[in-house]
Amino acid sequence: MSSYKIDIPPTALSTLKSRLENAVFPDELEDSGWAYGAPLADIKRLVARWRDGFDWRHEEQKLNAELPQFTRDIEVDGFGTLNIHYVHKKSERGLGIPLLFVHGWPGSFLESRKIVPLLTAGSGDARLPVFDVVALSLPGFGFSEGPKKTGFSFTQYAEVSHKLMLALGYTEYVTQGGDWGASITKEIARRYGGEHSKAWHINLILAGPPATQDPSSYTAIEKDGLARFQEYKRSGNGYYRIQATKPQTLGYSLADSPVGLLAWIYEKLVIWTDAYPWTDDEVLTWVSIYWFSRAGPAASLRIYYEVEHAGQEVGSTNFHIPTIPLGFSHFPKELGRIPKSWYHLVGNVVFEVEHDSGGHFAAHEKPELLVGDLQKMFGKSGPAFGVVLGRNGYDG
Amino acid sequence: MSVELPFQISIPDSKLDLLRQKLALTEFPDELENTGWNYAKLNQDLPQFTKDIDVNGFETLNIHYVHQKSSLANAIPLLFVHGWPGSFIEVRKILPLLVQSSPQFPAFHVVALSLPGFGFSEGAHKPGFAPEQYAEVAHNLMLSLGYHEYVTQGGDWGYLITRIIAHKYGGKHSKAWHTNFPLATPLNFSVNPILFLQHLFTPYTAAEKAGIERSKRFEKEGQGYFHEQSTKPQTLGYSLADSPVGLLAWIYEKLATWTDSYPWTDDEVLTWVTIFYFSRAGPAASIRIYYEFIHSANGSQPSSFEPTIPLGVSHFPEELRITPRKFVHSVGNLVFQVEHSTGGHFAAYECPDELVDDLREMFGKQGPAFGVVPGKNGYEQRIRANL
Repeated sequence: MSSYKIDIPPTALSTLKSRLENAVFPDELEDSGWAYGAPLADIKRLVARWRDGFDWRHEEQKLNAELPQFTRDIEVDGFGTLNIHYVHKKSERGLGIPLLFVHGWPGSFLESRKIVPLLTAGSGDARLPVFDVVALSLPGFGFSEGPKKTGFSFTQYAEVSHKLMLALGYTEYVTQGGDWGASITKEIARRYGGEHSKAWHINLILAGPPATQDPSSYTAIEKDGLARFQEYKRSGNGYYRIQATKPQTLGYSLADSPVGLLAWIYEKLVIWTDAYPWTDDEVLTWVSIYWFSRAGPAASLRIYYEVEHAGQEVGSTNFHIPTIPLGFSHFPKELGRIPKSWYHLVGNVVFEVEHDSGGHFAAHEKPELLVGDLQKMFGKSGPAFGVVLGRNGYDG
Repeated sequence: MSVELPFQISIPDSKLDLLRQKLALTEFPDELENTGWNYAKLNQDLPQFTKDIDVNGFETLNIHYVHQKSSLANAIPLLFVHGWPGSFIEVRKILPLLVQSSPQFPAFHVVALSLPGFGFSEGAHKPGFAPEQYAEVAHNLMLSLGYHEYVTQGGDWGYLITRIIAHKYGGKHSKAWHTNFPLATPLNFSVNPILFLQHLFTPYTAAEKAGIERSKRFEKEGQGYFHEQSTKPQTLGYSLADSPVGLLAWIYEKLATWTDSYPWTDDEVLTWVTIFYFSRAGPAASIRIYYEFIHSANGSQPSSFEPTIPLGVSHFPEELRITPRKFVHSVGNLVFQVEHSTGGHFAAYECPDELVDDLREMFGKQGPAFGVVPGKNGYEQRIRANL
């Protein structure tokens, strides 16, 4: 294990600048807004800022100051050793509940930035539990190595995450995940639940449909949630379809063009959030992590292909359902939601919260709400209080 | 009457310099240094022009096209329509064959346009420019060249566009159509009861079975580009516009996987791709047709097109979707059908001889579409002696 500071080499920064200086933009249809994808004015403005004005070194220093980071070799069955980058912050008081935070795509460890201080805070209300937080860069993302062979799917992502927790001395822990993080933490709950993973919380719940359905029983919110998924499949999952079939073909573009990468990710940052007021530098920091990622941006796409071809599609109900306590936070602008009557396909829901604002990137958009939910779920009167032996989030 | 101007491909040095700079920054410049920018041969082989064409309800677009007349005055006017990731270059090999005059087979006058947003044609600037509009451009181009009656050949988007032409302008203007990409929806008893029953009781040939497997694989593994291009073409467009490497990969993948072991040379691939890179509207414009199609009335539900003019179909085994033979009758008024044992999606480029032979047979003296264009049957007029 070694402590880690993000320190992007100067050549990488100057190459990026050269590419941005040579940027060639497409035209755009008149008055097309967001209908065809990310608008030209937004992308041009962001590229101009990225080229001149955006100060990566400053952002890098802030990240390093806020988030204690490390790297560590983790052995993965059949894939050798991967050097994994992660954030690890212990609670500032008491015995923090070990919490593994797992991001998705196009997310990163950066999504833990706002919730880490809230989860670990010593100065907060002593009635609320505190956590030790571990937020890894998934293999192929951020500053973790990526796998070199095909076949690295949910099993392997779960294995890396679990082994990391064990290596940090957390034989028992809980998890929080959205996007791929929800599926990966489900896999963790399946494989390591009970003995190691004691409870899991997600903000994207995907499964089903069950063999028998009664659509007439669905509430208005449930109908709306299903309709959102239908719309996503109809008009919003082109990226998924290409990433799950030809990630390499797309990868050339994302590796070669910071403009292309920016547009590819920015589109999701906007359409998947609930009117989140992104600043340009926020977006650029987010995208720079992809641009400067250790394995390169093309590597991050491969999870889609591997999952699709392992027969482990998101929402697949072919496998054993985990039994450990599951908590779920609904944010209305998530990609969709499933009816309560399908929950049994996901897990043992003991905790559920409805929010009236927020979207897909819950930890980044609504950190206080998400942390509040975790504090309730794991707090003294919560359904998952004390699941981790000896570390219940309070003093002694 | 809009003016026809001769056209030569000529890329400004500033654009070539910028491309070189970008390629210098890639990790594998060696493979791309010899990009075939030598367009002199293309300009030699393909007589090109531009002309303004009006489109009802949209703007006037300046359209680039290849136009070569046969030496035979009453050759059959033929419109060739490409698709994506194709271009006017796909006419390159069939052109010299089609315009040939002989007592053995018909000759053609050939027009091959760059679809709006492709090659050196302007692209539409407003949303809603759907396949019907592409068809209108192609049809208006033929009229403006004095070809009030003509026939068509098309694959990929060219199939759909020429089908629309056959439906909207068929009979009066388009007299027959030929395609190598006969996309048919599965037969429905209530719609085509006889065909449905015939299909039910006709076992699939080995070729059809293999084709069905191929189609399934394509649907499962090969349609990602279609989904992205038909929903977020602008998002993808930034990559294709900014990254020559990205554009190359995006197109090359299709050139390799959609053909039947076609022995692409690097320069062939690069010439093909640089037409997109240096296209007038930029590469991002070419993919909008997917979005416009899906969002158009005829893209979002079973189409209302029902052409009645004679249809000829050539089947190539490595095409993306194989249509079982009986289904093809639902595409149009099938009068001619040929099965080949080699060849893929880019038939005119991969199998020019076979495709031209098919057209010569379909429109030839013994063919089912002989003489469809009155006064232009593609053969030497015999001067009758007045007895």
